[in-house]
Amino acid sequence: MAVPAHHIIAEPPPFEQPPYPGDIFDRRTVLVTGGGSGMGLAMGIAFAQGGASVGVMGRSIERAKEGAAKIAALGVPVHAASCDVRDPDQVATAFGAIEKVLGPVSLLANNAGANFPVLTENMSINAWNAVTRIAIDGTFLCSAEFARRREAAGEGGAIVNNSAQYIWTGFPGDAHSAAAKTAQATMTRKLAQDWAPLGIRVNAVAAGFFPHESSTNGNDPEAIAPLQNMIPAGRTGKTHEFGWLSALLCSPLMDGVTGQVILQDGGESLRRSLMMPDFVPPREREDGPWGWK
Amino acid sequence: MTGWLEGKAVRMIGDDSFLGDTLAKAGATFVTDDTADCLVHIARAGPAKPAHRLSHGEWRNAIAAGLDRRFEAAKAFNEANRAAGSGGAILFIGSPEQQAGAEQAAAAGALGNLTKSLAVEWARDGIRVNTVLTNDGGPALGAMAAYLLSDYAAYVTGAVMGIGVDD
Repeated sequence: MAVPAHHIIAEPPPFEQPPYPGDIFDRRTVLVTGGGSGMGLAMGIAFAQGGASVGVMGRSIERAKEGAAKIAALGVPVHAASCDVRDPDQVATAFGAIEKVLGPVSLLANNAGANFPVLTENMSINAWNAVTRIAIDGTFLCSAEFARRREAAGEGGAIVNNSAQYIWTGFPGDAHSAAAKTAQATMTRKLAQDWAPLGIRVNAVAAGFFPHESSTNGNDPEAIAPLQNMIPAGRTGKTHEFGWLSALLCSPLMDGVTGQVILQDGGESLRRSLMMPDFVPPREREDGPWGWK
Repeated sequence: MTGWLEGKAVRMIGDDSFLGDTLAKAGATFVTDDTADCLVHIARAGPAKPAHRLSHGEWRNAIAAGLDRRFEAAKAFNEANRAAGSGGAILFIGSPEQQAGAEQAAAAGALGNLTKSLAVEWARDGIRVNTVLTNDGGPALGAMAAYLLSDYAAYVTGAVMGIGVDD
């Protein structure tokens, strides 16, 4: 159902009007994990709008290069590197490769993740390991590598983590991601404490639904259209407003902001009604565990 | 932050001249009536006392300042802006939940969940509601406040946050 005409929908400024000047990240290099597509690419583009050089890390070098090419179109230096963020040696190698081309990495966006709806009873150990270790171990390994390099350089930096709007409620039918994304948020607070003496700020965005080409059904306008009215804000998120908040948190404008997990979901996770449609266990939902295919 | 609040009329309730200056630099103008696009309500906790040393009067005054007055201001803001069809943004600013007395712990918890409830009730009025609980009073709070009031935060509503690691 369409959003009724008398409802008011808050919209962000257009993509061409970022909330910071085009040189705010001048001579800074950001490394974006999983930056080849989707939310990670949106982060990379947002940093590029502020003039950062952008290192794009991805398991698939082809996808990382595709993303890097889109970011380069904004006129900033880019470099793509392949990396499985679960492997500390690969993380160190990829940081080294990006720093060799773009200079010291002083900003980090942890976005690498995997997600798919599956009932826990049908979830293989491999599936559990894949989703949880990419987000939990990957965020830890990339952040720690970043912090060691920043400490060695005697300079601070900033990290932003891509968390999710379901970290406070759980996500039936998505238990691996629910666990993983919450770990990212809770480690955000602790890493911020650990690294405050190093001048490294750490924040997270608990992002809601921002359809993009690699989200589940995100490339299907017919599947996305009915979701607008489901969300209190009256629309799904626009990837550029997510990218902007992520970059903004790493910018000097937000110096002093650290250890925060900022909800950006248009109120989606806060919907609640005493009376709701009958409960259907995730395993009995016609359209799969999320009730949506 | 240049231009973030261009064209926005802000009503500030509670004293914070530094924050006011920051919002002005971001382009805000200020009003004291019900024509505001944005409502900023500031109420900081008083000095902490052990709960058993608080009189009921002290307790009630703190809850009134940290919670009741905010509810009343938000309700009036919604009424005016809903009637005008103008949308808007509400921002509550206060002290961290656990770093003052029990009265602040109660008021801040209540305010956080009030924030989340109002965010959904008023979402389709185009009115966003957020809260920052911090002892910070400097540029970081100013920047975050300006962001949350601006259209750049159009998809941020029902968010309760701090500023630094101690919040």
